[in-house]
Amino acid sequence: MKTMKHFLRSIAAVLTLLVLTSVPALAGQVSISVAASLKDALNEIVGVYAKSHPGATFQKNYAASGALAGQIEQGAPADLFISANVKWMNYLKEKNLVDAPSIRTFAFNDLVFAGATSQKIKSMNDLTRLGKIGIGSPKSVPAGEYAMQAIVKSGLEQALAGKLIMAKDVRESLMYAELGEVDGSVVYRTDALMAKKARILFTVPATLYPEVVYPVALTVAGAKNADAKSFHAWLKGKEATAILKKYGFTVK
Amino acid sequence: MHLTPEDFSAIALSIKIAITATVISLPVGFATAWLMVFSHFRGKVLLEVLINLPLTLPPVVIGYFLLLMLGRNGWIGVFLKSFGIELVFTWKAAVVASAAVGFPLLVRSIRLGMESIDHQLLQASRSLGAPWYDTLATVILPLSLRGMLAGSSLMFARSLGEFGATIIVAGNIPGLTQTIPLAIYDYASSPTGTAMALSLCIVSVALSVSVLFLHEVIGKQLEHGGKA
Amino acid sequence: MKLCIDIEKRQGDFSLALNTEFSGERVGLFGASGSGKSTLVHLIAGLIKPDAGEIYLDDTCLFSSRNRIDLSPEKRRIALVFQQATLFPHLGVKSNLLYGYKRCRPAERRIKPEAIIEVLNLGHLVGRGVGKLSGGEKQRVALGRAVLANPRLLVMDEPLSALDDSLRYQIIPYLRSVSAEFGIPCLFISHSLIEMQLMTERVLVVRDGRLASISTPDELARTGMATNPRGYLNLLRLDGATQKDGLFLYPWGESDLIISEGRIGEESLFELSSRDIILFKSHPEAISARNLLECRVAELFDSDGRKGIVLESGGKTLVAEIVRPAAEELGIATGATVFAAIKASAFRRLG
Repeated sequence: MKTMKHFLRSIAAVLTLLVLTSVPALAGQVSISVAASLKDALNEIVGVYAKSHPGATFQKNYAASGALAGQIEQGAPADLFISANVKWMNYLKEKNLVDAPSIRTFAFNDLVFAGATSQKIKSMNDLTRLGKIGIGSPKSVPAGEYAMQAIVKSGLEQALAGKLIMAKDVRESLMYAELGEVDGSVVYRTDALMAKKARILFTVPATLYPEVVYPVALTVAGAKNADAKSFHAWLKGKEATAILKKYGFTVK
Repeated sequence: MHLTPEDFSAIALSIKIAITATVISLPVGFATAWLMVFSHFRGKVLLEVLINLPLTLPPVVIGYFLLLMLGRNGWIGVFLKSFGIELVFTWKAAVVASAAVGFPLLVRSIRLGMESIDHQLLQASRSLGAPWYDTLATVILPLSLRGMLAGSSLMFARSLGEFGATIIVAGNIPGLTQTIPLAIYDYASSPTGTAMALSLCIVSVALSVSVLFLHEVIGKQLEHGGKA
Repeated sequence: MKLCIDIEKRQGDFSLALNTEFSGERVGLFGASGSGKSTLVHLIAGLIKPDAGEIYLDDTCLFSSRNRIDLSPEKRRIALVFQQATLFPHLGVKSNLLYGYKRCRPAERRIKPEAIIEVLNLGHLVGRGVGKLSGGEKQRVALGRAVLANPRLLVMDEPLSALDDSLRYQIIPYLRSVSAEFGIPCLFISHSLIEMQLMTERVLVVRDGRLASISTPDELARTGMATNPRGYLNLLRLDGATQKDGLFLYPWGESDLIISEGRIGEESLFELSSRDIILFKSHPEAISARNLLECRVAELFDSDGRKGIVLESGGKTLVAEIVRPAAEELGIATGATVFAAIKASAFRRLG
């Protein structure tokens, strides 16, 4: 039995080695794992950075923050991680997978209520007049989790029960609002700004949900990558900040 | 192995949706298979392609089409709305999604069964005084039972696993439209949900295996019965 | 039964065009495979539609392109018996038998199930499923099922060709008794001359989708005598055998026929090739053949360079065959007396 365990362990070790060595860290290559809601902004940021740093190439991986954290935990190549909430950053920090001193706040986002409805909707309480309200699935989508917290804090949990349509991510939620399948959706301001038919009807009061923070950090591997480190530092600068603001993020 | 009440409702909902989708599709599937096997008409190839399309199309595409058609502004959605029926974001939408995705499998199995029916049996039936609908009911239907059962179990199993189309047209609402795969998706999106996700995965595997097992056993028994 | 057919049908390269009218209670449709027999059956039964033309059964119009009549198969009341028994596999013997009967208007139910079960000897099969029946049993059930539909016409499409020889001749008496006892007109399709001789009184010969001739089975056998590798086949239905010295003696006309393979106590069907009969001008002194019959030449006929001789002996007839020079040597003419020698082993028992 014991020898069997040993055997399996050594096989696992060999396989891991193979996987790791098959993706060699090329000089000048930076792998970034970024929360999906930052996709458009980060694409532009990386583009600008690459122009002034011709040697650097980027491998971009956009997904839900939780999924990204899981991937990093499983050993996926990543030098830089930007999460859509503090929770997943802390998760990796506890497991010593990110370089703790490099953790800092990258950007902030707000929740808004956006929809194509003709009704006058100006506050959380007005939501009760609507038929269907889209939010992200609270279990897997941070924006959905925040939206749910805002609803609970406003005491609308009972009133809105049965009206909430849960989507697999913020973008799907926004798509429902665009098509008019829901009267409106609670989404990030940055997403709502991209909508064509749905307008921002009101901003969800900041007191109702925790601050939407995007922390950034180098991973343990990234801390040894000079290009990753310089990109991490550059993100603090004016150019990056300007782009973030353009897309509707707040930088303090 | 730990399942929350929400997980149990997802399991129950999955089964309910799969059964409903299968039961509703069965007569339509039988009629379609009959049309494909026993009648000649123009545009048969077109119908064939149309029926098999969901087999190759990404489920997401089907879900999106369904959402556009059944939604508030879709022409079917508007029509149904006039009768006070709303499908989108209800378990009924999940039934429609499952039905659309599983239908080609159902028709395929029934067709295979029907194609193996000796045409002379039908000729004998007609010449013995049975009108076409009589032949359909007393010869084709009983001899297609095996294909229908095989197709139903296959479709049922496929419906249990439906994800892509369902999550778009029915949403992911716990207790209302969240089926097993959707619940697993929720858990799998965060590393802390691994244990919960795995529990549901085991349930999913167990369900599929037992359905497919039943499918084989029934098939064998009917084969036996057919020979006796 | 009277059938008037004037139809055209094209199926790929094959075309069928028939214009004929015939009547009779047991009519045969004779032709090689691919000659269009089965197509014709399907057209008559309404299973496929002619391109143009008319079909009348007695006074009923089954199809007329001119009058836009196309009676559906179930309304034609033409029952089919196929080469394969095609019993409904999901139904038992009884339900199979009654399938057509139940769909027949009560007023037209002339033939009762009990009667057919007795005639076809199906009593012991009624409670069974169809899967475990033998080939012959299946075909009898199929026959019973067709007859119980009380059809106006019973069409048998090569009903015997899937059965082996011994079974085939066991079924023939059933087929004959069905049409005789219940008075159902039959259209019998086959490519076997013997079956035609046994089953029918008139024969339509079909070749390449056209009607070649209408004749009797006997005429057909006579014309084919020279080309058929076994000549003209005399069919003898014999009974009342006695055994002597290991041989069977069957009374035949005023004398006995001595046959090596027979059966005591039951009627048997024998075939005897015209080529196995040797003729003598005068009584030979001693021969090895067991049968020596004194016959009168009743009739002579030609078949492709050979002469057929119809021999008459004690009110019974046999057809013998010789080449023309032999006929001249023997000086055979109608009314002449000849002696026919036949070996006991030349008779082949069919069933």
